[in-house]
Amino acid sequence: MDKRLFLKIKMDRQVIFLENIKKSYFIGIEEFPILKGIDLSIKVGEFVALMGPSGSGKSTLLNIIGALDKPTEGVYRVQDKLVSSLSSDQLAEIRNKYIGFIFQNFNLIPTLSSLENVSLPSFYSGSQNLDKAKSLLKMVGLEDQWKKKPNELSGGQRQRVAIARSLVNDPEFILADEPTGNLDSKTGKEIMDLILSLKKDYKKTILMVTHDPHLADLADRIIYLKDGRITSKKSI
Amino acid sequence: MMSFDFFIQLFELSWKSLRANAFRSFLTTLGIIIGATTIIVVVALGEGAKKDIEAQYSNMSVTTILINAPSTAGVKSKLSVDDIPLVKTISTVADAVPMLTGKVNMTANNTTVNFSVVGTYDDFAKVANLNLVSGNFFAQEDEDNHTKVVILGATVAEELYGTRDPKVIGETIVLGEKEFEIIGVAEYKGGAFGPITIDESVFTPYSSSYRYVLGKNGKFSFNVNATSVDTLSETMTSISSVLRESHNLGAADTDDFKLKDMGATVASAQSSSQTMALLLGSVGFIVLLVGGIGIMNIMYVTVSERTKEIGIRKAIGAKDAFILTQFLFEAFILTSVGFIVGTLISFLVYYLLMSTGFKIVFVWWSVPLSFVITFTVGMFFGFLPAKKAASLDPINALRFE
Repeated sequence: MDKRLFLKIKMDRQVIFLENIKKSYFIGIEEFPILKGIDLSIKVGEFVALMGPSGSGKSTLLNIIGALDKPTEGVYRVQDKLVSSLSSDQLAEIRNKYIGFIFQNFNLIPTLSSLENVSLPSFYSGSQNLDKAKSLLKMVGLEDQWKKKPNELSGGQRQRVAIARSLVNDPEFILADEPTGNLDSKTGKEIMDLILSLKKDYKKTILMVTHDPHLADLADRIIYLKDGRITSKKSI
Repeated sequence: MMSFDFFIQLFELSWKSLRANAFRSFLTTLGIIIGATTIIVVVALGEGAKKDIEAQYSNMSVTTILINAPSTAGVKSKLSVDDIPLVKTISTVADAVPMLTGKVNMTANNTTVNFSVVGTYDDFAKVANLNLVSGNFFAQEDEDNHTKVVILGATVAEELYGTRDPKVIGETIVLGEKEFEIIGVAEYKGGAFGPITIDESVFTPYSSSYRYVLGKNGKFSFNVNATSVDTLSETMTSISSVLRESHNLGAADTDDFKLKDMGATVASAQSSSQTMALLLGSVGFIVLLVGGIGIMNIMYVTVSERTKEIGIRKAIGAKDAFILTQFLFEAFILTSVGFIVGTLISFLVYYLLMSTGFKIVFVWWSVPLSFVITFTVGMFFGFLPAKKAASLDPINALRFE
């Protein structure tokens, strides 16, 4: 096979693949469709922004992509794993090994130190990797703060810890849910730079939810969600 | 997957969570501490009561029948030492000894004490299985001649001379107002013999005690041994009819004497001590149960307070089993600490009670018993909140504030 073609196939490999994803909630016998057929694929190394007004089904879609929830209908794959058909324990394993979460409100464990927070996903995958956690803290610029608990850190520092945590198990992609939403604009910019460097320097695949069009413009591609459907995709 | 290392780390994790809320953790474990303490102390108290009863009746044979005048006022009893030869004629009676007892001041070695004088026959040493550390018991001639001789009980000797084995044979002691010669000192027995406590008594011939010390103020009773347990009830019937006849009681008259079957008394005392132990044991169990419910309560509170944390843990990949194990570990640590502290406190309580003269005897199996009950209760009540934590939905838990 042509070596360049092989490389191109590899680069074009889809990390996230959604086909006709539907999600409905039922109250009694009445059906409330939230997602009405989502088709989406994200390639290795891509940085995609997801935008949409509240009520558009954004959170529901995020929960499905984050393997926290299962679709009513449709196919969802991460790499070669068919996520849409897994049990709750298997979903936990997908979240643990394939996905790195970055939340708007950081979601660190208050009783644990930075280092313990960063290493926690590796603990749940079987062996706590403190060396890796240390080097990640260094990467986000917090190697001196490893002993500190979340309440001893500033908002920006907390988000850095969370970013380090999202990377400890070498996930297939990073799911960032309004990562700068709780930060002032200066700190937000620093965090955004860090996230951008994950793509640029570490070739990470990133899906970011945001309300801020300026932040979305930093992505390779923007997906708009409205009334449970993708209305437009914008590529840069 | 769940290796030894994993458990060590999980243990650390649980320990941290408990330490983060140290005072609450202490309150949670308080019920377990008290429960564990109660079980061990209660078993020791029960055993102490049992040993005490055994000691009290250790000098009694189950074939013993105690005969005394009824305590009902107004009934004049004709029970006397003259009944003894008649009772002895019954074929199923092995021994019969009289006891004339009363408390008097006794002076020797410049010390005056107040103990019981017991006037009895020479058979008494055999019937009560009494051994002497020095000297001899009196003989039939001493009875016939009203000799003023006395054998000291161990406690009496100790109070007067400071030792249970004083070299005082041939010395004199004043009983009431008369001088008696000490001819023997009894070995320490412990426990009672019918109405008397052997160690706290001195023994003289019956006739001497009546004539010189007690007179009509002495309380009279006598001790009969049947030849075997099987003949006990038959013997009691025979004694009854012999005494009624000798006291000239008509068919309409009530008995002017009382028969007490010691075997039955011992059995009922033992069963009441067992009932007591069982009762105290249930108290310990109930305390633990309440302690267990305490654990459950506080853990439910902990689970709802930490809903968000559980959500985060699940979001980053903790399986249900991990969450369950972590909370079970917390219950396990609380229970372990409660058990260890409770056991230590129970030893403290034990020595405290013992030093204040409580009848208490430590029993080794009370510790494993307390262990089993404590852990069953702790883990059972810890399981339900842990199960709740494990089955939380990560999406809702994450949204929880």
